[in-house]
Amino acid sequence: MSAAAEALKGAVILYQWTLRPFIGAQCRFHPSCSHYALEALSTHGAARGALMAGRRILRCNPWHPGGYDPVPTRTEQG
Amino acid sequence: MDNKRLLLAIIASIGILLVFETVFNKPAREAQRAQQQQAAQLAQPAPTPGPAGPLRTPTDAAPAAGTPREPAARLPVEGPRVQGTLNLRGARLDDLVLRDYRETTDPNSPLVRLFAPREGSAPYYAQWGWTAADGRTPVPGNDTDWQAEGGRLAPGNPLTLRWDNGQGQVFEIVLALDENYMVTAEQRVRNTGEQPVQLLPWARIRRESTPPTQGFYILHEGFVGVLDGRLREMTYKAAKEEAGKRSGLAFEQETSGGWSGFTDKYWLAALTPVDQSARLRASYRAVPEAGPHGQEDRWQVDFAPPAPMEVTPGATGGGQALRLFAGAKEVHLLDAYASRLGIPDFDKAIDFGWFYFLTKPFFFALDWLFKLFGNFGIAILVFTLALKAAFFPLANKAYKSMARMKVLGPKMQEIRERHKEDPAKAQAEMMALYRTEKVNPASGCLPIVIQIPVFFALYKVLFVTIEMRHAPFFGWIRDLSAPDPTNLFNLFGLIPYDPMQLSHYLHMPAWALIMGVTMFLQQKLNPAPPDPIQAKVFQYMPIIFTFMLASFPAGLVIYWSWNNLLSIAQQWYIMRLDAQRKGKAVAPAPSKG
Repeated sequence: MSAAAEALKGAVILYQWTLRPFIGAQCRFHPSCSHYALEALSTHGAARGALMAGRRILRCNPWHPGGYDPVPTRTEQG
Repeated sequence: MDNKRLLLAIIASIGILLVFETVFNKPAREAQRAQQQQAAQLAQPAPTPGPAGPLRTPTDAAPAAGTPREPAARLPVEGPRVQGTLNLRGARLDDLVLRDYRETTDPNSPLVRLFAPREGSAPYYAQWGWTAADGRTPVPGNDTDWQAEGGRLAPGNPLTLRWDNGQGQVFEIVLALDENYMVTAEQRVRNTGEQPVQLLPWARIRRESTPPTQGFYILHEGFVGVLDGRLREMTYKAAKEEAGKRSGLAFEQETSGGWSGFTDKYWLAALTPVDQSARLRASYRAVPEAGPHGQEDRWQVDFAPPAPMEVTPGATGGGQALRLFAGAKEVHLLDAYASRLGIPDFDKAIDFGWFYFLTKPFFFALDWLFKLFGNFGIAILVFTLALKAAFFPLANKAYKSMARMKVLGPKMQEIRERHKEDPAKAQAEMMALYRTEKVNPASGCLPIVIQIPVFFALYKVLFVTIEMRHAPFFGWIRDLSAPDPTNLFNLFGLIPYDPMQLSHYLHMPAWALIMGVTMFLQQKLNPAPPDPIQAKVFQYMPIIFTFMLASFPAGLVIYWSWNNLLSIAQQWYIMRLDAQRKGKAVAPAPSKG
């Protein structure tokens, strides 16, 4: 995994341990957006992983039904 | 075991925050340094011998002891908002207090002192002078006694300083003061000699002790400036580090116009050219120097033309015209100077930060409310309420599905029973259920991601704005910008003893406790994170924050408490609304759950 992906994962873990407990987890999905981001960064690298995580956060709003939404595997992405 | 991991996690998080700050700024600094090193080598004029090299080699050691001199002559500086004296020895403005600001909330406390002479414990001054680029022209130095014309420096009453070097060159500095905090200084040299002379005029702000700083990463204190349109901030520590690598020069840039100086939390001393299209070289310097307390740090910001200037016989030149701002960072005043005098981004002297586009409008809103209600604390409460109201539809939308949740109750209970051993599995199935039934109790991450910068911006404005300084609130809060003075550890004053004498950790003010309780209550209404260790962190958060915020400005703690209270009220209101809806929807068909 690239250094950039590691750094981004570090930032997400930092969020999980500091901000998240403080402001309260409000995710509509499983896995939650931050776990989704960690997994996406691990399997798809920094650029694509970050993009996928960003799109996931945009989906995670009150107008989207939410629910079970796993990270697509590499083959699913093509 | 869990507690150990928890503690480790907290320490790690704080560590990461600190590391982020240094890592983020470092690449930019290194790039700058390479560039400057090159520029410094090219642009450095020939070595300047003689006594008058305070700019290039700032060794301003005090004159040798045992040479008694009569005390320096001083002229009064009298403005509506400043008062002090101008030191005619060395052409220094080294005594200036701000008439509208006092050190404490006590109306009889001393006025806030911005500039102080070298004889004192915290020298801080502005000075104008020249360096002889030709190596032979005598130039005024630190011990030069200037002749003054004008008697005093006041609005409408400029002052001319004059010094004849006895070899045909007459040095002049014309000073003018405006109604607020701006001094204009025009430097020039009349050459009545036979030979052309080469001179480099300079102006500098010098600080001969390190001021106490807040040391908090959301507030910048130290060197600051906008040069060629870019904000250049440098802390004292960073400047010292950089300067150590290249003989005292921490940062240098040739620029068209701009400004730079020293910023404290509320005060600023900065130089800027009168002609904003003028080419100048601005430098930040840090030099350790032998002083009465051993090696002491000296900090300096100076402006000079990029190259020495020649003054031919019979001509007047070798000068520059700069303004000196020395006063309080009032947003409206800085904005007025920026537009009237064309000083680029002068308001950036206030650390509005990355969220400038939010923090600045927030400031204006708060300021407007402050003028409306006459109390800055009320302004904070009203503004926070307005922000919460703006985000209310987002929160409300999420809870509209609550009614249908009740119908799913039995199914959810069943899932929980089935996966008693594996909460993650239960969570996953619950989410699948939400999806098929098109309901979801959470509001989602997007609303939170949007709200973070908004509330951070408000927090930042409250931290940096001078309007909060010495602003009273109700009860025992007489200064919103200072920590709440009450203390649980002496039973809020019942015991006539200050435990902070033992350790300043022994401070637990009333408002911090209120904050902790409201935070705890608000968290009870939030779903706990699925991870057990995180759930534990979640539990400890109110306690950690209560201690962390104990020493914070009371205005911020009140804001946090109020924000928590509003969150609780909002949740309660939405749930009640929901219960009413449910009541109507469910009542006709009694459920047998």
